[in-house]
Amino acid sequence: MGPLSPHTSHMQKDLRGNTRDFGGTVPAEAIRAGARPGKDVPYENYTLGPAYDEMFDSNGCVRPHYAALHSRLAQLAPAELIRRQQACETSFLHQGITFTVYDDEKSGGQATERIIPTDLLPRVVTAAEWARVEAGLTQRIRALNLFLRDIYTDARVLADGVVPRALIYGSKHYRREMRGLAVPHGAYVNVCGSDLIRGIDGRFVVLEDNLRVPSGVSYMLANREVVRRAFPGVFRSSGVRPIDHYPEALLATLAAIASFQEDVSIAVLSPGVFNSAYFEHAFLARQMGVELVEGRDLLVNDNVVYARTTSGLKRVDVIYRRIDDDFVDPLHFRPDSSLGVPGLFNAYRAGNVVVANALGTGVADDKAVYAYVPKLIRYYLSEDPILDSIETFLCREPDQLSHVLANLDSLVVKAVGESGGYGMLVGPHASKAEREAFAVRLKADPANYVAQPTIALSTAPCYVDGAVEPRHVDLRPFILTAEETVIVPGALTRVALKRGSLVVNSSQGGGSKDTWVLSA
Amino acid sequence: MLSRVADSLYWMSRYLERAEHSARLIAVKLESMIEQTQEDSEASWLRVIAALSGEELAPASADAFAVTRALAFEPANPSSLVASVRQARDNARQVREQISTEMWEHLNRLYLRLAPVKTESVWVHQPARLFRDVVDDINLFEGITFSTMRHGEGWHFIALGRYIERAQLVSRLLDLHFGTMPSGIAERTPPPKYFDWIVLLKFCTAFEAYTKVYTANVVPSRIAEFLLFDAEFPHAARFAVDRIQEALSHVAPVAPPARRAACERLAGRLKANFDYGQIDELAAGDLDRFLAGIVRQCEGIHEAVYAAYIAYGAETVL
Repeated sequence: MGPLSPHTSHMQKDLRGNTRDFGGTVPAEAIRAGARPGKDVPYENYTLGPAYDEMFDSNGCVRPHYAALHSRLAQLAPAELIRRQQACETSFLHQGITFTVYDDEKSGGQATERIIPTDLLPRVVTAAEWARVEAGLTQRIRALNLFLRDIYTDARVLADGVVPRALIYGSKHYRREMRGLAVPHGAYVNVCGSDLIRGIDGRFVVLEDNLRVPSGVSYMLANREVVRRAFPGVFRSSGVRPIDHYPEALLATLAAIASFQEDVSIAVLSPGVFNSAYFEHAFLARQMGVELVEGRDLLVNDNVVYARTTSGLKRVDVIYRRIDDDFVDPLHFRPDSSLGVPGLFNAYRAGNVVVANALGTGVADDKAVYAYVPKLIRYYLSEDPILDSIETFLCREPDQLSHVLANLDSLVVKAVGESGGYGMLVGPHASKAEREAFAVRLKADPANYVAQPTIALSTAPCYVDGAVEPRHVDLRPFILTAEETVIVPGALTRVALKRGSLVVNSSQGGGSKDTWVLSA
Repeated sequence: MLSRVADSLYWMSRYLERAEHSARLIAVKLESMIEQTQEDSEASWLRVIAALSGEELAPASADAFAVTRALAFEPANPSSLVASVRQARDNARQVREQISTEMWEHLNRLYLRLAPVKTESVWVHQPARLFRDVVDDINLFEGITFSTMRHGEGWHFIALGRYIERAQLVSRLLDLHFGTMPSGIAERTPPPKYFDWIVLLKFCTAFEAYTKVYTANVVPSRIAEFLLFDAEFPHAARFAVDRIQEALSHVAPVAPPARRAACERLAGRLKANFDYGQIDELAAGDLDRFLAGIVRQCEGIHEAVYAAYIAYGAETVL
């Protein structure tokens, strides 16, 4: 960790144990400290399945790091839990942490705003688990940045036959324009959001690297705000590591990639208010104290990027862009983009502006390249991967394709270039007809697909319709890299809110919850 | 400051001023109508309608319920109270990182509370209450803005928007009482009576302030003098014009003097109207032209601000 790592708060330690949650407790004789899953209130609907459960072990005993939350939930009157959940939702609504739904039927064509579902119950990660996650992700991002530098310069990794050439040069996310361009500190990916899941054995494995414009960090911070208020006593007594310094760490990362260090002008580039992550763009700009700009605010003259201000043009040195590669510059990429800035890429090539993340990083979070990451770690770092990846079958290889086709009912098949849970078949949950239809698409374009065994994501307690029930979750920490890598000890825990569902994407009915990384 | 940000802050503020004005007029009208005859009340509703809507959107009847619905909640009316609050909130949302969290949450809550309101439910019990609450909420927003936002350039763009809008609104309101009514409703609106002059003062939250200067002796020419020329009353045109000039001297602090000149010249000329104007001369016949001149000059200042600071061509500064 760099100089921005949080200090353990002494005040927090002193306050431990002498703060209680407020209000609404049930009488002492009714306290069920040993409330069991599937039997006792509020866990009577808590059915343990084959998946690893975050709160209970396979015998139904509470894991030690969940004990405080477990007993607190058993003490709380049901009405009090409902009240806290509502307070949390109201707070999100008032903050404007919403997405817009255009529902013509109900509101006569008017847009209505809904909050992103947030679950009140925190997900707890132990210090030891986190240490491994942190080390593993740091190792992984080092290898991925080395890989990106390699394929955009000497392409040694291709010459050595570690990764097939066709996989890289055939990828729609490979940007020829980036060849030979020096990137500050070799850090192509300055902001990464990796998705981790736990298998049945409870070990964290990496499911996906998001190396383009990962989002969700504002939810990590917003969830913390409301959950800290809902469970102040449990929060204080648990020794939760703070995450509030994320914006400061992001700012330091962006400042570190600037070509000079005095009076660096930094801006967050957003597609604008209609983008579903607009709240996050505005939030980060505000928290960092930098300008939030849209494409129309910027112009390029003589390969220098300027923002249009009331007093004239002002130079911009670093752009944290939250716009996909394709839309960044209509002169170089999609000409129909009205979100981007014409000439931005030339300014970038000329070294007059730094863009984070660098362009062309998408080639390395491709679902087929994912299968090679353990090899890349060994190749570039001569180390064994600390975090495992999931066994991945590349349908572009004929023998692997036939294996996939023969086992469609047990595999998850994903389209290589897609994200957000689209273009995906979850074999065990699909009907025979759906599997057959998918097989046809698979055979028509095998290089576009990979397959993985279906992993039962771990379950965590969630507050659903007045009771506490298990739901499948994943874990998305955010990794910041300039000269050094910094991972704020927290993450977005995404939740599949439908019972039994394994799809956590917010675009498909997922929600999120706060993640508590314990200091000891 | 980004030009786009200045634009959004300015319009946020203009829309809020418009919303407050609408809410205040409706509240005062709802409260005062019980003391008026049917005819007088209708005439006075027609003035409110003319003050708050474009001619093509004016509701056909002067029935209190129908007018309230049309002016406050009608989804098809782009200048309704709810529409103004929505526009203000949408502008605020576009500059979410520029305004304080307190400002944003207050405005967002006001919008969320107002958006689903139906006229029927307001009508059940003390309909004026809701509009009074909106006025209070917007005044509160101004106070929150005053004490939570830096009084920098953005703050001055907010002031500029508020006072340009206010100068125009008060001029229009005076015109509807002292000048000739627009054709179409002129036939149905007799000249204001004694009670209408009191209502006019209340429309501008000016009744108490007026009596402190002129006592409770209600004289139309003094009302005009007060609402136009008082330098210390926030809803008087002159007060607004002074604030416009003040705001313009603070925005775009490092713009080259040549670009500032046009705006400052226009603001100075507008202020001169008030520095050298006299109500006696205006009452003799030129009031119409004077009021129309204020509205026109405010539009001119708006255009000059946009040309100099917001919508300028890049080629003019490179």
